[in-house]
Amino acid sequence: MPSTTPFNRRAALSALLLPLALWAGAAQAANLDEIKKRGYLVVVTEDDFKPFEFIKDGKPAGFNHEMVDALRKYAPFEIRQEILPWPGILAGVATGKYDIAISAILMTKERTQSLDFSSPIADATHYYVKRKDDSSIKSIKDLDGKTVGVQTGSAFLSRLPELQAMLAKDGGKIGKVVEYASYPEAYQDLALKRTDYVINTVINLKALVGEKPGVFELGQPVSGKAYPAWAMKKGNTELQKFMNDFIAAQKANGVMPALQKKWFGESFNLPASYTPEN
Amino acid sequence: MSLADVLTIFHGALTTLLLSVAGIALGLPLGLGLALLRWGQVPLLNPLVAVYVSLLRATPLVTLVLLLFFALPSAGISLGPVTAGLLALTLNTAAFNCEVWRAALLDLPKDQIEAAQSVGMGRALRMRRIVLPQIARTALPGLINEMSLLIKLTPVLAVVGVVDITRAAVRIGAQTYEPLPPFLVALAIYVPIVFALVSAQRWVERRMARREAAA
Repeated sequence: MPSTTPFNRRAALSALLLPLALWAGAAQAANLDEIKKRGYLVVVTEDDFKPFEFIKDGKPAGFNHEMVDALRKYAPFEIRQEILPWPGILAGVATGKYDIAISAILMTKERTQSLDFSSPIADATHYYVKRKDDSSIKSIKDLDGKTVGVQTGSAFLSRLPELQAMLAKDGGKIGKVVEYASYPEAYQDLALKRTDYVINTVINLKALVGEKPGVFELGQPVSGKAYPAWAMKKGNTELQKFMNDFIAAQKANGVMPALQKKWFGESFNLPASYTPEN
Repeated sequence: MSLADVLTIFHGALTTLLLSVAGIALGLPLGLGLALLRWGQVPLLNPLVAVYVSLLRATPLVTLVLLLFFALPSAGISLGPVTAGLLALTLNTAAFNCEVWRAALLDLPKDQIEAAQSVGMGRALRMRRIVLPQIARTALPGLINEMSLLIKLTPVLAVVGVVDITRAAVRIGAQTYEPLPPFLVALAIYVPIVFALVSAQRWVERRMARREAAA
């Protein structure tokens, strides 16, 4: 069925979401005063982005879910949580349906034009992962012309030029790019040899390789600095400050480093704010 | 994949069944109503229904549900994921059902109506005793076809957070990094659901045939 190919779905989504976002200009996301007055904050999280957020035995789990739990204790208002697949997350925030996406949203220049970000919550430099038994890939330059899998609409698409530049130094170039609705499908196709490598953040890939050490092997970094953060509607500066104060407090009381260690295997020394260069 | 995971998929199956049954129960009479408006050439409403059907048949369900879920709050109407999903399903299937019903109505010989009028049957009685029994029989295969498509369209609603069979399977695959087993379980649930629907169609058809033979 052609209408379900990732490309068409993406085109359909973007064709719809632009007018939606414009229309939604009238319906503002609630600012901090309104949130306090009505007594609740609506947060949205993803359902299949391990180890940040996923569903285990029917219950939400992962780094961001535990941060939401910490936020429940911290905030003077109720936290209402909605769980959505990735394609609806940014649309929901941009239209004001949700006040904040407590998800691992990579900060990019493009996204800062329509969204405000909190302080970074992790270090997410991009790496490639390959099949363990594939001996044709030993370093970045071996990726020349090979087929790569990425998630549709994921920030890596806008970062492909970085890898392109790395490959070009040795006269190589990026091969066929296959887009997937979500990463688990991309990993499955890598295992099935339909693609040669998949690119994702080092955190996600470490979790993958930790789970399936016999199948996958972590490669090298293919991007510069990259931070995921939480996204809010542009211009909601009071909410942004509230969330940044929350993150600062969780860093100071040791909760956030402990959660990073638990879910990512290491804690990071992160800046309080970051302006993406690309 | 653990037992809890299988239960999660069955929980998704409940959502799929609930949405499908409700969508069918609402969309079937709604489609008939729309078809009657067109068949009766009701002024003003006839062209409106024609536009509605053309628009809805041209709109992908995923677009429709995103629109209902994310755009309606701007108009002051905030729907939950299941409500928005059900509304989208109903609006979508009603448009397709309308065309199936309409085809059956157009196929109904005019002399049937005229014969009923000649023996003095009123509009309501004519509808109940002459028109509906005959168009129900012609429309049945088309309607069942649309119902089975509707059941298999429900995964689309996952985009606004509805957790149906497929989404439950995707979530488990994302957690275990092994998408194949949950998808096999999902398939094993879809097949009997659609099979039950088709069996119901055969049963109704046989019953109709028996009743006609007896008459």
